[in-house]
Amino acid sequence: MSILEYNGAAIVAMAGKDCVGIAADRRLGVQLHTVACDFTKVFQMAPKLFVGLGGLATDVQTLKSLLEFRINLYKLKEERDMTPTVFSNLLSTMLYEKRFGPYFCEPVVAGLDDNGKPFLSSMDLIGAPVLCDDFVVTGNCTGNLYGMCEALYKPDLEPDQLFETLAQALLSSVDRDAMSGWGGVVHIITKDSVITKELKGRMD
Amino acid sequence: MARRYDSSTTTFSPEGRLHQVEYAIEAINNAGTCVGILASDGIVMASERRITSGLLAPAKTSEKTYQLCNHAACNVAGLTADANMLIDQARLRAGRYQYQYQEPIPVEQLVEYVCNYKQFYTQRGGLRPFGVSFLFAGYDEQHGFQLYQSDPSGNYSGWKATVIGSNNQAGKSLLKSEYITGEATEDEKIPDLQDALKLAVKVLNRTMDGTTTAAAVEKMELFTLTVEDGKCVHHILKTEEAQQVIEAVETETASAGDA
Repeated sequence: MSILEYNGAAIVAMAGKDCVGIAADRRLGVQLHTVACDFTKVFQMAPKLFVGLGGLATDVQTLKSLLEFRINLYKLKEERDMTPTVFSNLLSTMLYEKRFGPYFCEPVVAGLDDNGKPFLSSMDLIGAPVLCDDFVVTGNCTGNLYGMCEALYKPDLEPDQLFETLAQALLSSVDRDAMSGWGGVVHIITKDSVITKELKGRMD
Repeated sequence: MARRYDSSTTTFSPEGRLHQVEYAIEAINNAGTCVGILASDGIVMASERRITSGLLAPAKTSEKTYQLCNHAACNVAGLTADANMLIDQARLRAGRYQYQYQEPIPVEQLVEYVCNYKQFYTQRGGLRPFGVSFLFAGYDEQHGFQLYQSDPSGNYSGWKATVIGSNNQAGKSLLKSEYITGEATEDEKIPDLQDALKLAVKVLNRTMDGTTTAAAVEKMELFTLTVEDGKCVHHILKTEEAQQVIEAVETETASAGDA
C-alpha cells in the first residue's frame, strides 16, 4: 500500500456561479483500522480561501500549521489577506522545497479571488499545480470522485445546487472505497458568507 | 575624558559605563513621542506623527504602530530602519512559537526575545546598537493586558503607564500625577479605555510643541488593543474617532481651568 493511502481521504472541490464549494470525508484510519470519524482535512486559511489536504495525516496537520505560519507573516507584512492564486503558488513552492523528501500530501485549493471569481487548483505531492475551472479531487478514491464529478457537474450552479452536487458526488464515491467515508463535511463559499454543513453518510 | 572609551560598544569606560549604548539611548530622545497606558479593559498607545514634509506620501496604515502577532503590537521611537529589522525578528519569533506550541507566545517572552537580540549588539565588536525604543502592548491568558518598554541596551520593564521619545520626562511627570500609583482603591481606579485615551492625548499635548486642536488629529496616532469575543482587536482610531477624543480633552481642560 502506498504511503499516501495509509490514513485514507476523499476531498473534492467545485466551482459554481460566483461561489466555490469544498467537501471532504471525516475518516482517519491506520490502514484498514478506523481510528476517528471527526478528522478535519479541510482548513480555512482566509475568509474566502480553503485548502483540502489529502494524504498522510501527520503531513496534513504539519502542512496546515506551516501554511498558517506563512499566511500570518504575509498578513502582517502586506496588511491584506492572501489571494487563492498566491496561496496556491506558495503551497506549490513549499512542496517542491521538499522535492527529495516530500510531504505525503496532495492538496486542493478552493477560494474566491478579490473580484469574487472562483479559483480551484490541485497539485501532486511535489507541487505540480493544475488550475481548473470546474472541479478538482484528491485522496484515495479519485477514480470514483472523477467519475461522479463528470456525471453530476454542471457549470454555473447556484450555492444550494452546488452543495447538493458536492454532497452526492462525495457520498457516492466514498461508499465504494473502504478507506474513505465515515461522515462528511461541505463548505460553500460565496461573496457574503461561508456555510458549513455536516453530511450524514454510511458509517462504514 | 570619556572620548577614549566611547567609540567601541565592547569597551567599558573606567566608570563602568557603556558610552555607545548611552548615546544610542540619547538618540531616542530626539524621536517622536510615544505614550503607553494600561487600562482596565485594554491598552492605549498614542504616538506623535512627525510630518517632516507636505510632499511625503501618506503612510498606508501606520508609521508608528506595528502589529507583531495576533495578540501583541508595538510602538516605535527612534530609527525606523533599525526598528523594521527588529519588528521582522519579533514577528518571526511569534510565528515560530505559535507553530511549535499551537499557542500564542506569552507577551513577556516575545519582549525578552527582542531585547536579547538588541543586547547582542551591545556586546559584539564592530556593530552598533539598535537606535530604537519600543512600547510593547500585548494580551495573554496568564497575565492579561501588559505594557512593556525596551531601550537600545536590551533592558526592558513592565509599566502601568509610560512615555518614550522627546519630552518623555514631562510626559512621565503628568502620568505620575494623573495615573494611579500603588494599589487601586475606591477613589483611585485603573482608568477604562476611554479615560486612558483622553489621558494619552493629554500627555501628547504636553510633550508636543504647542499644537492647536485642528492640527492635532493629523499629528497624533491613537491605538487600542482590546479583547472582544475572546479575540484580540487591534484598532488604530480613525480621524473622526481621534477627533472626538481630542475634543473631549479640550472641553475637560477648558472646564478644569474655570473651576
